[in-house]
Amino acid sequence: MPIYLYIDRGTFVHRLHPTVKVFALFIMFWSVYWVDNPLALAPVGLVMLWIAQLTDSWPNFYRLRWFFAILVFSTTIAWMVFYRRGAVLVNVPIFHVSRLSLIFGIGRGIKLAELLAASVLFLSTTKIEEFTYGLQRMRVPYRVGFAISLSFRLVPLFIDSAVTIVDAQRLRGYDFNQGGPLERVRRYVPVVIPVFMGALRKANNMAMALEARGFGFSHEPTTFIDYPVTVADILAFAFLIALGTLSFMLYWTGLGGIGPLK
Amino acid sequence: MKIDGQIFSVFSVNPNQHAVSVQGVTFTYHGAERPALRAVSFVQSAGEMIGVMGASGAGKSTLAKCLNRIIPEFEDGDFRGTVRIAGEPLEHLRVCDVAPKVGMVFQDFESQLFSTNVAHEVAFAMEQVGMDRAEMDRRIIPALEAVGLRGFDHRDPMSLSGGEKQRLAIASVLALRPSVIVLDEPTTDLDPEGRAEVFELIAKLRAQGLSLIVIEHESEELRAADRIMVLREGEIAADGPPSEVFARTDLLMGCGVRPPGLGHALKLLGIDAQPESVAHAYDAIVRAYPHLTATLVDNLADSRAPEHPTIAENASIGSAFMAIEDVTFSYADGPRVLDSIDLRVEAGDFIAIVGQNGSGKTTLAKQIVGLLQPATGRVIIEGKDRAQMRPAETAREVAYVFQNPDHQIFAATVQEEVAFGPRNFGLADDEIRRRCDEALEAVGLQNERQSDPFLLSKGERQRLAVASVLVLRPRMLILDEPTTGLDHREQLRMMALVRDLNRAGIAIVIITHTPWLVAEYARRVVLLRKGAKIFDGGVREFFMQDELLRSSSFRAPEITELSRRFGTLALTTDEFVAWVKGRA
Repeated sequence: MPIYLYIDRGTFVHRLHPTVKVFALFIMFWSVYWVDNPLALAPVGLVMLWIAQLTDSWPNFYRLRWFFAILVFSTTIAWMVFYRRGAVLVNVPIFHVSRLSLIFGIGRGIKLAELLAASVLFLSTTKIEEFTYGLQRMRVPYRVGFAISLSFRLVPLFIDSAVTIVDAQRLRGYDFNQGGPLERVRRYVPVVIPVFMGALRKANNMAMALEARGFGFSHEPTTFIDYPVTVADILAFAFLIALGTLSFMLYWTGLGGIGPLK
Repeated sequence: MKIDGQIFSVFSVNPNQHAVSVQGVTFTYHGAERPALRAVSFVQSAGEMIGVMGASGAGKSTLAKCLNRIIPEFEDGDFRGTVRIAGEPLEHLRVCDVAPKVGMVFQDFESQLFSTNVAHEVAFAMEQVGMDRAEMDRRIIPALEAVGLRGFDHRDPMSLSGGEKQRLAIASVLALRPSVIVLDEPTTDLDPEGRAEVFELIAKLRAQGLSLIVIEHESEELRAADRIMVLREGEIAADGPPSEVFARTDLLMGCGVRPPGLGHALKLLGIDAQPESVAHAYDAIVRAYPHLTATLVDNLADSRAPEHPTIAENASIGSAFMAIEDVTFSYADGPRVLDSIDLRVEAGDFIAIVGQNGSGKTTLAKQIVGLLQPATGRVIIEGKDRAQMRPAETAREVAYVFQNPDHQIFAATVQEEVAFGPRNFGLADDEIRRRCDEALEAVGLQNERQSDPFLLSKGERQRLAVASVLVLRPRMLILDEPTTGLDHREQLRMMALVRDLNRAGIAIVIITHTPWLVAEYARRVVLLRKGAKIFDGGVREFFMQDELLRSSSFRAPEITELSRRFGTLALTTDEFVAWVKGRA
């Protein structure tokens, strides 16, 4: 199974200028940020579904399906503890189960899921070289942009390493599922330390290899790929501006909040 | 693999100039008591290939890092001396400034690939030095052709095999057209096919006149070098043509280097020659022992029967212990990784599982210990269906030592690390202490109880990993590549430990790519190819299957190949020498 999310396809989204893709990621986050109401989150969600279909990114969503489900479910549940507004529908200790807390919780869950979905779409359609280039064009220093984009490539490697370490400790009779929530977190120490040490070692090796390949030689490295701006980029840019504006208007008019559903 | 194409005709080398000049280089790592390199001086002529050998900690990688300013720019410590590349001193240069002059290929191939496709990877270094796009275009295809990766341009580097990844790393440094390429143990993590690919490429680069410095543990691979430099405790212990250096068997052994089996055999037979190949060794022996050719036909008939059984063959075989019955397995949405595998392991058995990367060796091991569940079929341990056993329960019967010991080490002391397992099983403190003593004694770490595991050498950490599972007193031990990354001395120590455990009655299964380990220690070989078991039998029988070996990219040890030319089949140098002397 591939450990990276990038899916090599020739769709028009894949071919968009890297700066537009980075901007798209920003607009998705922006659009999700301003609204809380599940209905108001729908336009952005629909756009994402459309892009997922267009870019053939479903395999990545399928891989992360449980993560999405847990995210929405646990967020909804958590907000029913902290969001204590509206008439109680059912009496459950600790929880405040009301129509309002449910809507708010589900909204927050969808919001986080959409943030995750935006990242998945971005990584499904953008190579790290494009990410670096996009950030560079947005005036982010090359070293910073490269580090950010490289970190996306490293995370799956660390996850892979963590899975191996969990296996190694299980085979020494270690049970990760003992005790309450805090104890369970504490029980991951035998995993965290080897992962951390391995990450340090890998980062050190990688830094040496990078410098040995000339990283840092020039503050303005050239690029192997030419990224010309096309009509599709301009249209996509206009669409993103419209989406971002719509989202902000939903917030500005109050339609994006929980209020109208009261 | 087929390596085609024109390697760059112009390397920036002046044939009258030294490619590398190292004068009085001493380096002490920050906080270290002793220097890692002591007054090392040598020169390398343009187009020369130098093989650097030595035990772990002898200073090989430190020396390599001095050649491109990683030391002292990157590593903290006290550096003295001068390094010149093509006559130019490197003082005051940054590592990235040296990149166009010295290409460096590291052991860990995954840490040196940063891009999402092969062409990008080759372009990476050129982008960094600010090369224009047209020039990059001109260089990428020749670089890929040079390493046999033409046509891979759009592949994700992570989807390549280990050998291909390492060749890609070489292509990426070639693209900058450096005058020297330094390869620091480039084949350590590769299977035999990957190793062959890389060394075939190295031979081709050398033939093209590129100056090469290759750090390597296996002496056979460096026979084609112009010079062999052996390091011992930071100093040059030997430096000369391979024929001279490899003839100094005692010195090599003293430096933790495995002498080439052929040369060692000839020396033991009193023949003064350093053969470059099996054919040369055969000719030399026939000249010294002319009557041996006459026995050729006579001995063919009994060549299956060992005349001098190895230690492993002398060990006793007990009753059945573990059985895999018709196990099939695929990862999610992937192709079949294990295909109707049947395997029986007897108590006290010693099995080597071999096969190319991706053939299913590690997946099979994970099925045995319960980290993976078969799609069909079952695993039986001591008569019990493993599916009914919890992983912890399985761990007390079958222990698994991962390839990388650092995947489990986390405790502050060696003692605590070893005690982790028995504590998980709730054993009493006295019992834990007793078992820890026993396990640490077995692996020779009894004096390191209070040491920080992270400060141990790789060989010691590997033995600590064995102790950590041995403490559970399993009846079967699976070791995944137990000697990877270890020098010869550490390899011998590790395998002596494994052999002792086997003699004590523990069934051993090693997953390995190393032919001589199979020949010297295993009793049985299981060969996997694309998830299917295609051979399961004795070691001698295995090494007689020429077609099978060839198609699996697995080679018999050279000494075995040599013995077969005489119509017998010896698994070790001692065995072959005894056979020859027995007919003298």
